[in-house]
Amino acid sequence: MSELSDDLLVAYVDGQLAPKQALAVDKVLAQDDVLAKRVAALKKAHKRLEAAFDAILAGAEAELASHPVPKPRGFFVSWSALAQASLATAGMVLAMVMLLAGFGWPLQMPQIVWRQPVAADVEVDMERVGSIPRDWREELARAQALLSRDSLEVGLNSQANAELVRFQLARAVGPGLLVPELESEGLRFMRAQLLRFDAEPVAQLLYLGASGAPFALYAKAGEASAEPSFRRYGEVGSVAWSQDGITYLLAGEAGEASLLRLADRIRQMENSADAAKNSANAAENSAGAAEGSRVPPPLPKHKPKP
Amino acid sequence: MQAEDYQDTIKPGLVALLPRLKRFADLLAGGKTAGTALLGRALKRMLAGQHRYQRNTAIDRFAFAEIYRQWLHEHGDGGEASYAETDKADFAQLFPAKDEEEFDPFTVSFLYSLPPQHRLMLLLVYGEGFDDIDVGRVLDAAPEAISAWLVRISASLADCMSGRGARGNGIGTLSAREATS
Repeated sequence: MSELSDDLLVAYVDGQLAPKQALAVDKVLAQDDVLAKRVAALKKAHKRLEAAFDAILAGAEAELASHPVPKPRGFFVSWSALAQASLATAGMVLAMVMLLAGFGWPLQMPQIVWRQPVAADVEVDMERVGSIPRDWREELARAQALLSRDSLEVGLNSQANAELVRFQLARAVGPGLLVPELESEGLRFMRAQLLRFDAEPVAQLLYLGASGAPFALYAKAGEASAEPSFRRYGEVGSVAWSQDGITYLLAGEAGEASLLRLADRIRQMENSADAAKNSANAAENSAGAAEGSRVPPPLPKHKPKP
Repeated sequence: MQAEDYQDTIKPGLVALLPRLKRFADLLAGGKTAGTALLGRALKRMLAGQHRYQRNTAIDRFAFAEIYRQWLHEHGDGGEASYAETDKADFAQLFPAKDEEEFDPFTVSFLYSLPPQHRLMLLLVYGEGFDDIDVGRVLDAAPEAISAWLVRISASLADCMSGRGARGNGIGTLSAREATS
């Protein structure tokens, strides 16, 4: 009997495995009756649970339908909604009156100050976003908003294991997440954590070179594909691109050329990693059943939304 | 005025969710009567604005978490007292009979044997389609703990069904504190 854990089998039954891994499990199941029976039992268990919860929902719907909610009194719409609409209309009219009184619009528009005027001999970083002087408290408070509980739940003791780190981050961000090895570029992987942006998880991978500030690779669920584009935010340059449903942002205190080169290197790694996996799968297929079944590592869990 | 705004914002959403909230409360309380009472108290608390709804939060996740919080408030963090008090006949009534036949007695008994938090975990995953992270947010538990318990419970049910033993009896209870520790 092959050694496939319940974790992996439950993920398989729930459809959480990547297609390649699901195929690998299929192959094992075709050769192992004991495991096949186990999977059949797990599938049956899940179906029974789903049926039970559907039954409770049907009962709850029937019970609520037997006690209909009385309609609010009103003329086509409820009186409360009508009152709210009237208040909103009055508010808009008042706002228009104040606008006319304050600015004389449309005869005269206020002058909008887009950027503080600067002396001719002062070098201005035109790429910098914002015209308000930076304040360390504001910057750090904004950075604090990126932290979530999950930021501390990628255990430090697992940081040395790139596969485990990838597993933990990919569960949140997406199964296609890449944790690139950049030693050949002189950058050592130091640690990773999960941040958030508008409640969406963002993976942060940190790399350190022989000198200078660290480089960070951020990843969040995003577009299917987009070409790399460079932007500079003050001292920090960045390259953003999308691949396999994940949007990456490479950031560091480096020039446009070197960041674009590094981004290309990461994208090539991703392609070559896919090619290597395909080759490995092909080799595995040709090796046949004589060698016994190989256990695929568990993949990130993503349950379907209702 | 502010409280009225809050109600007007959240009330239609809660009304649309009522059947799902009722199912959640019934399963948590272990019966229709107790579930209806729990849901009523939780809705009253939500509408009174004691816990402000944040607009960027999914309203179903917010409401489930509020019902669970209300239940914890009434039964203590672990809810073991409520677990012991649940009446099996009341619980079985949650599952409508089909053609005057009892609904899948095996699965009903299995769910009855579980602590309320475990029932909710299964409901949120297999009934609502939530992922481990969202389930963890509702039940105030670490996603890793949710994932581990789901595997144990699923395996236990499969074992019971295939007559491989009563691993289900050894599942134990999960309190919010235990899950997050």
